[in-house]
Amino acid sequence: MGLRIRLSQQTLTVLDALLSRPGQWLHGYSLSQSTGIPSGTLYPILMRLEKLHWLETRWEEVRTPGRPPRHLYRLAGTAREWAREEIRAAHERRFWKSSENEA
Amino acid sequence: MSVGKQEIPASARFARWLLEWAVRHWPEETRPWGLALAAEIDETASALETVRWSLGGIMLFARSVLSGAWAWMKLPAGGSLPGASGPQGPSLLPKRSRVFTVAIVTTAALLLFLPVGREAIRTVRASWQGFQESASDQRALEELAARAEKEKDAGTLAFVALSTTDPKRAAALTERAVSLDPELIWVYGARNHRPDFDPPGEEWLARLKAADPGNAVPDLLMASALADPRVDMLYAHGTPKDADFEVLEAASKWKLLMERACGAPRYDSYFQKHYELTRAVWNRERNLPPTFIFSGLWSHAIPDLQNLMSFAKFKMYQARKARAAGDLQRAESLIGEVDVFALRMADGSGTKIEKLIALAISKSANKGLADLFASSARPQDARRVALRLDEIERSVQEMRLGSGPGGRAREQAFRREAMLLQGFGILAVLAGLAALAGVLLLEMWPGRRRNAQTRWRRALCWMADYAPATLLVAIGAFLMSFLPFQHAFAEYRASSYAMWGLMEIPEYVMGVHARVLIWAFVTITLAALLVFVLVRGIYRTRHAVSKPA
Repeated sequence: MGLRIRLSQQTLTVLDALLSRPGQWLHGYSLSQSTGIPSGTLYPILMRLEKLHWLETRWEEVRTPGRPPRHLYRLAGTAREWAREEIRAAHERRFWKSSENEA
Repeated sequence: MSVGKQEIPASARFARWLLEWAVRHWPEETRPWGLALAAEIDETASALETVRWSLGGIMLFARSVLSGAWAWMKLPAGGSLPGASGPQGPSLLPKRSRVFTVAIVTTAALLLFLPVGREAIRTVRASWQGFQESASDQRALEELAARAEKEKDAGTLAFVALSTTDPKRAAALTERAVSLDPELIWVYGARNHRPDFDPPGEEWLARLKAADPGNAVPDLLMASALADPRVDMLYAHGTPKDADFEVLEAASKWKLLMERACGAPRYDSYFQKHYELTRAVWNRERNLPPTFIFSGLWSHAIPDLQNLMSFAKFKMYQARKARAAGDLQRAESLIGEVDVFALRMADGSGTKIEKLIALAISKSANKGLADLFASSARPQDARRVALRLDEIERSVQEMRLGSGPGGRAREQAFRREAMLLQGFGILAVLAGLAALAGVLLLEMWPGRRRNAQTRWRRALCWMADYAPATLLVAIGAFLMSFLPFQHAFAEYRASSYAMWGLMEIPEYVMGVHARVLIWAFVTITLAALLVFVLVRGIYRTRHAVSKPA
């Protein structure tokens, strides 16, 4: 069971990106590209979410020769509903807008 | 599309290298995240992206290091973070965290860096060294002299000349100071050639006499410098008899100098000037070690007092001889000369011991006069002399007892405060050493001692827990107990009449008694520790017996 926490705008952006493809494993670089959040900010968010058990992580099994294995992320099943609730609440409070809404 | 290795520019290559280096040094507990971030660098689409990604990684690395360090600091000494290398498992550790220890020790160090803390350390350290100049003190004096030479500061040069223990250096500095400011010629007569009270050299004294002709002291110093064996031998067989004084009749040069001194209109051994100079330099250089202040004043040259006593006794002998020959007028005149000189000396600018000797000479002269008047039926003169003797006795008592009841109370207060100061100073040093030993031993050999639940381990934990707090309390108390001395020093710096109190501080409370105090404190502490261990042992034994098996 995850914990309810106060989320920053950038964390909400990451959650939104993870929710856009629920169940699918995503790489750190692609998350950074889709959210526009630099690595120095993205990884502390991922670390925090993992610590709160919102995020599932695993190492890539299929390895490209000459390259280190990559880390994969997706929202945990129970955390998806929590994330949606947080995003909805942030919308209502006008604290955060998703990039799709902005467009 | 990823950037191929061949196309990678130098900036991107450097960024990759930097990230690889960071991953190699990444803290153990978050290393997988460092590897995860580094694994993505091959996906970056341009050199700029590579650099940005790598910089983000470095930021994350820095954050991990800092957060790891903070987590480590929150553990007690000897504790290690989960996942860190080294032996794991249950161990006996102190209760307080490293942060607590560091905060306590830092606060204690900051207290010592306050002006009062620095002055307290300087003073107590000097007292532990018996106010003897160390090699570092000599270096500090040399730096002071070099600065004074650069600024052509004659006063400071004279001060260094009077404080240094190197006679050659002192001579050179004295000459330089006098050449810059001829008013400082009195330094010729104030510089004593330690360790014995050797008077200054003849050449200097001749120059001083020429510059200060009305003063008795240059002649007295010259007479001391003669070191006439006839005078020195006077006390070789105990109290001299009249026949012993006969030999002094032939010591013409000595007699001439002493007669000239006896007839001089002033007596000034320049101690007040020396004190004023010390005070002026001390006010400019507030960080001067107290050793300089005291050692310079203590080694101030004064005339040989035994020489002076011998001359007084010689004059009394001459008076007795005149009286025996029936020349009462000459006898009275000779004794009167001695008394007048002694009074001049007692009223002049000299040290306390000089004044006491002057009063002793005056007392002896007045007793001689009383005897003379009693035998020559001059009751009025005899009464006058008796009153004079009472007055001298009162002056001697006042001088011996300091400055009355107020002075005695102040002296006793200083003694008490000095005991506290020394006690807390020693406690602070012991607590500091215990804290250092406890923390260092726990940090340096955590592996070897981790599971050794021994008494030693327990003792180390106890030291790491309580020694820093004891250190802080001891330093606080140390500074509080130094405050009266700080006020006293400020008073001595501000007033030109407070020098006797200044001279008495180390004599009464810090110099002579410091070693006694230190050993008394160490003995009491060890005894208290022994009692504590015994009581604890008895309590534990009883507790173990009362518990059912």
